[in-house]
Amino acid sequence: MSDLHFEEEDFHSQFNGRTLMRVLRLAANHWRMLVGFLACISAVALIESYRTYLGKQLIDTGVVAGDRGALRAVAILYGSTFVLQSLLVFGFIYLAGVLGERLSYDLRKAMFNRLQELSLSYFDRTPLGWIMSRVTSDTSRVADLVTWGLLDITWAFVSIVTALVFMLAINWQLALIVFSIIPVLVFIAAQFKKRILVEYRQVRKLNSKITGTYAESINGVRVIKALRREEANLDEFGGLTETMYNAGYRAAWLSALFMPVVEVISAAAIAAIAWYGGWQTRVGGLTIGGIQAFVGYVTFMLWPVLDLARVYAEMQHAIASAERIFSLIDEQPQVRDRADAVDAETLAGEIVFDQVNFAYDPAKPVLKDFSLRVKPGETIALVGATGSGKSTIVNLLCRFYEPTSGRILINGRDYTELTLHSIHSRIGMVLQTPHLFSGSIRDNIRYGRLNATDAEVEAAAQLAGAHTFISALDDGYSSEVGEGGNLLSLGQKQLISLARAVLAQPELFIMDEATSSVDTLTEALIQQGMETLMRGRTSFVIAHRLSTIRRADRILVIDAGRILEQGSHAELIQARGYYYQLYTRQFREDRARELTTNDDMAQLVASAA
Amino acid sequence: MSVPTTVRGRLIGLLRLLGRYRLAFFWATMFLGFSAAAKTGTYLLLGYFIDDVLGNGVGGMGILPLIALAFVGLALIEGGFTFWSGKLAASTAEGVVQRLRNTLFDHLQRLTFTYHDTMRTGELIQRASSDIDAIRRFYSEQATGIGRIVMLFIINFIAVAQLNLRLALLSIIVVPFVVLVSMFFFRRISDAYELHQEQEALLSTTLQENIAAVRVVKAFARQDFERSRFEGDNAKTFDRGRHLLIQHATFWPVADLLCGMQMLAGLIIGGLMALRGELTIGAFVAYAGLVVWLIWPMRNLGRLIVQMSSGLVSYSRVAEVLAETQEPLDAGSYQPQRAPTGALSFSDVDFAYSSGPPVLHGISFAVQPGQVVALLGATGSGKTSLVNLLPRFYDYTGGSIKLDGIELKEYTRNYLREHIGIVSQEPFLFSRTIRDNITYSVGHEVSEAELIAATKAAAAHDFIMNFPDGYDTLVGEKGVTLSGGQKQRLTIARTLLKNPRILILDDATSSVDTETEAQIRAAMENLMDGRTTFIIAHRITSVMHADQILVLDQGRIVQHGTHAALIDQPGIYRRIFELQEQIEDELEKEIAHV
Repeated sequence: MSDLHFEEEDFHSQFNGRTLMRVLRLAANHWRMLVGFLACISAVALIESYRTYLGKQLIDTGVVAGDRGALRAVAILYGSTFVLQSLLVFGFIYLAGVLGERLSYDLRKAMFNRLQELSLSYFDRTPLGWIMSRVTSDTSRVADLVTWGLLDITWAFVSIVTALVFMLAINWQLALIVFSIIPVLVFIAAQFKKRILVEYRQVRKLNSKITGTYAESINGVRVIKALRREEANLDEFGGLTETMYNAGYRAAWLSALFMPVVEVISAAAIAAIAWYGGWQTRVGGLTIGGIQAFVGYVTFMLWPVLDLARVYAEMQHAIASAERIFSLIDEQPQVRDRADAVDAETLAGEIVFDQVNFAYDPAKPVLKDFSLRVKPGETIALVGATGSGKSTIVNLLCRFYEPTSGRILINGRDYTELTLHSIHSRIGMVLQTPHLFSGSIRDNIRYGRLNATDAEVEAAAQLAGAHTFISALDDGYSSEVGEGGNLLSLGQKQLISLARAVLAQPELFIMDEATSSVDTLTEALIQQGMETLMRGRTSFVIAHRLSTIRRADRILVIDAGRILEQGSHAELIQARGYYYQLYTRQFREDRARELTTNDDMAQLVASAA
Repeated sequence: MSVPTTVRGRLIGLLRLLGRYRLAFFWATMFLGFSAAAKTGTYLLLGYFIDDVLGNGVGGMGILPLIALAFVGLALIEGGFTFWSGKLAASTAEGVVQRLRNTLFDHLQRLTFTYHDTMRTGELIQRASSDIDAIRRFYSEQATGIGRIVMLFIINFIAVAQLNLRLALLSIIVVPFVVLVSMFFFRRISDAYELHQEQEALLSTTLQENIAAVRVVKAFARQDFERSRFEGDNAKTFDRGRHLLIQHATFWPVADLLCGMQMLAGLIIGGLMALRGELTIGAFVAYAGLVVWLIWPMRNLGRLIVQMSSGLVSYSRVAEVLAETQEPLDAGSYQPQRAPTGALSFSDVDFAYSSGPPVLHGISFAVQPGQVVALLGATGSGKTSLVNLLPRFYDYTGGSIKLDGIELKEYTRNYLREHIGIVSQEPFLFSRTIRDNITYSVGHEVSEAELIAATKAAAAHDFIMNFPDGYDTLVGEKGVTLSGGQKQRLTIARTLLKNPRILILDDATSSVDTETEAQIRAAMENLMDGRTTFIIAHRITSVMHADQILVLDQGRIVQHGTHAALIDQPGIYRRIFELQEQIEDELEKEIAHV
């Protein structure tokens, strides 16, 4: 859950024209909508300016002149501008909105497709939260820029220009005076907006920190209660909300100050109209309708100017978002098919690791000159401490990563000459952390082979020892597993992921601590099934439980990326090396203690032996 | 705190929540009225300027700078009050919400286990974040926004009525229609918005699961399947977004047209009145300005009312959590100064989670101080439920548990939890430094020597010192990632420092490798020293030295005794023993053969 609360990243880039062009090119794919809404919004701005001018005509030629006919004529025009405007408003909201949705759709699709191709190394170094925010908030920010941002800019420009033209036409001297406030307004508004944005970014940061604290205290509530930390936690949280109060209050009053300041500046323009316009009226350079129109234009012009300031401030943010999105889309998968790759015919052949070297981080090599020859159908068990390189070996075998040097051969052929799809579709993999998808248990097992029948799904579950607990559930195979499978226990998830791999009927079977959380009786139950399954299939098993590994054809003891010992269980015990130490120490310790503390037990063990 | 279900009840609740901010909030609303009055004054001044200064030549040229100054003055008054009101509203909203956040936070950590079991984390977090934010917006945007529109309406209506009452009445004909139309549309818009949000959340879940399970997707080569699954969600998000847009795209033109027609009507009527001399030209110009502020803000009333109603629902959702009863940590008549000796007796204890089927039946056994009790049984047999009764995380529903001869329910929860330590299957650490995590529950200052003694006993000191920052290394999302075994050793160190009389070890070694397991076992033995201990485990070797072993099956004790006694009787214990023994046996033989 807490993954969803990402830190707002600061953007480094100044205005980046190339990124903006690329965003616009994306929009140009739907140029009809783009042109359509821009035309609509320009027309709206024009009409609005024109209507203010009509107001002047209404007063001058109608009311002041006392001409009823002119009044009627202007009123008809005035009314029709409203009708026309409503149609145009519908047009721009709809077109811009749909364009925005369309762009979001396109971007999400492009990103998702790219994510399916990227290699595991990408996901190792990229946090889930980072990717999530690219697809969610960044996408909507970019879509907003191209639609509502562009719309506001267009509207603002057309409004300001047409207002200028109308004012110049009415009285050019006064128009120039009024216009002198525009740069002042823009500057002040931009300054304000920049500062307000900074404040709100601070608020957002604190907000996600508060949410994170909530999440942690809810997730850890049992530990908090067990350790009686309630009061200390509240004290700390109180400090956090105090900071939040200060930041939120500062951001809010800065925003509250913004509008009044802008309004006072525009009042200065109105004052200029009263002063200079009043004088002009007396000398006959301006009509009463003209004064009204000027007041109208000034009041109305405030909004385009404010919009420009806002969009400018947001644009930098949106461009940074776009850069991050493009960096994801442009990311090249490290492991990919060669141009001349061919489909693997089978994985059921000899597998050879030939002097393989590998490192996730160049400074820390994981595998060093690792060589291994696996006969078809052989079961290999990998044993070793955390970090020794066991999982790396199977990750390389699955070609989630490729060796930094050396080769891996399948049936005598370097596997980089084969297509990824043909390799992956023949592998069955079960992991210690079993990832399930929201949906039913049946759907999750069927993920292993999409066209499997219900009967086949159940048979696989049976073999994996999952059938008993599934049948005991109210909805059986139709039971929902919850988001990420969180309605099930770890052991249950492991059994389902085992069934999923069984159903796939893979040629190469990989189990990475696959049954670590399954209880003894269940484990014994599935042992038989697993042996049937692995017979005749090349299998790699990573485990620490002796019961799981001792029947393997060959056990490799891995230490610091090398094979320390290898052989069958019996051979390794005889060799009296690391493996022997590892698996007999506990046993011997137990026995030693029994001898000293419990004679009955000692006799019992002795008699059993 | 009760949970109001009516609009009235919720509004009253929100009003009560204001507390000492009541006055500030009142003035925030009033100042909006003053500011609206200043705006209205600007247009009245314009009318005066046109009629008397320009028309009748009052004051000559010399009055022009004064008029100009008056315009600026009015703007200053308007702006000043707007700002002041905004400031007051902000301090109200932020202040009320700060208090609410603290209350909710404390409440959440004091709610019962039963409550936390039934509520999903995501749901609670949503109430703590977005619902609280909705309440904040109620004070800072909606309530004040509605206040502003109402003030603008009243004051401008009075101003127009001063100019001409008939004109004023004719100018607001459309208002009820605008409000109705906008409420109708905004109800629909908010429904469409919710559907869109839901769909977006679904899309996020799909993406999140896809990325979390990237190994599975790759291992089964299911990229195409995933693409089509995402495509389905993506297309649906697009459709729902478009549906939402259509609502917006219909509402705004309709509202604009209604308001536009009203303004047109007003201008025609006003114009005719001016022609007939019933209205001066200045008054007409003033009217043309005022009518805009009378009509246009009305379009937003519907939006604010609908948004407010979602704010009201948020209030209820938060109130609902706050209405839940807290776990009374200090309730209980018995709270001795001394630590307990750790003698426990269970007699005929039953337990069921609220409204669920019973999970423990007639549990009876007694434990001497310092004894080790092992619990064995399949997943779901009731082992964890049983030990959870000791710190009163849950209260047993029947029978009696006595600690040092006193009924457990007589003790305060605080006392019990102070003297019981738990090491659980999934170690939980907080996103803070290693030092903080270990000393998390200790009331007093912990000296460096004490700390190191604890981590050494927990076999954690060495790996901690291997981090560049040592004990100040940050743990969790923003810090280092610890392995399961490392985390477990830190929780053991934490428990050692806590120094409890009664210890619960709940399957603490199931997910670590063999070598780490040996280290943890040694650490746990240090921990158990002299303490009454409950061990939950799967492996015979972990339980065989216990003073008594309880084998649980479907909530009942089916076997009870020492290891030696239990392997003599047929039953679950012997089956597990034989399975594991068989392996050891073979190993034994293999060793013997060497």
